[in-house]
Amino acid sequence: MHLYLKKFGKTLTSREDGREAFAAIQPSLGDDKGSDKMELNFEGVNTFTPSWGDEFLTPFLKKYGDRLILLNIKNPSVIATIKMLEKIHTISFNKK
Amino acid sequence: MGQVSALLDINQQTLRRWDDEGGKLKSHRSSTTSHRYYYIEDIEDFLSQNFKYLLDISNRWAFNSDTFEIPPRLYCSDRAIFKARLSKLEAAFIRENPSDDSYSLITSIVGEIGNNSFDHNLGKWPDLPGIVFGYSLSEKKIVLADRGQGILATLSRVREELKEDKQAIRVAFTEIVSGRAPENRGNGLKYVRKIAEDNANIKIFFQSGQATVNIRSKTEHLNIGQVDSSIRGCFAIIEY
Repeated sequence: MHLYLKKFGKTLTSREDGREAFAAIQPSLGDDKGSDKMELNFEGVNTFTPSWGDEFLTPFLKKYGDRLILLNIKNPSVIATIKMLEKIHTISFNKK
Repeated sequence: MGQVSALLDINQQTLRRWDDEGGKLKSHRSSTTSHRYYYIEDIEDFLSQNFKYLLDISNRWAFNSDTFEIPPRLYCSDRAIFKARLSKLEAAFIRENPSDDSYSLITSIVGEIGNNSFDHNLGKWPDLPGIVFGYSLSEKKIVLADRGQGILATLSRVREELKEDKQAIRVAFTEIVSGRAPENRGNGLKYVRKIAEDNANIKIFFQSGQATVNIRSKTEHLNIGQVDSSIRGCFAIIEY
């Protein structure tokens, strides 16, 4: 599955909005067969924060593990936020 | 004029001079001998072009126990208003320099500080809910303030050993709070610190209680201080 984060807005900052975004997308994720890849694409995101990211990316990582791939990590706040989440949770995201 | 004088803490003589000279802040009056009136929009524009006065009014709002009316453009009573104004700031950055995306670091730290105020004070605002959020694009300075419970009161609920503002502010800016802690949050200020440390053009001042912290790039240790004037909530200035 390939998902563009800009569908949730270009300014992704609050925990509340991150939580809502994850709750909104959950029904369309369906049953995980254990082999599907999940690609999250950051193209078009202007501002990203650890608060929003923690509520959205962390549950995705728990669900998909190594099969979660982050794409278009170019925006400075996206780069900085992902680094911070990796440090907080001592994890490493797969990035392309 | 009296109301404007009290609001901006500027004496009436100065306001008259600015008006007569056609300078900083113009009034509206039907003739040269009639009373001078000011539109709130003109005052808001004046504040956005004169950070010194914007900072002063934000300071008085945040530090005084009395309440006073602050120009509506500065006040975000709830998170939805803050979100809309943050998007407006982001749009202004993009308009100024469409090819440079480094603005996103500024909007992200403003987002973290502002949303922190709402997250940590939800249902617990001691008097006025919401935050003051103002900026001067020409001077490249931003102010954020809340009249919430402050860092010590918030953190001491999960870290009982914290007794002083300085200890609390150090924890807020340095220690990673585990996602398994009672509060699944608390890492926003660490991010704010990291961004300021890694970017030479960004400087941050933050105060809660009597504790202050100044963050500059390439500083290995947090510059935490103590001041006499205490704020119950939080007060932040960002320069970029």
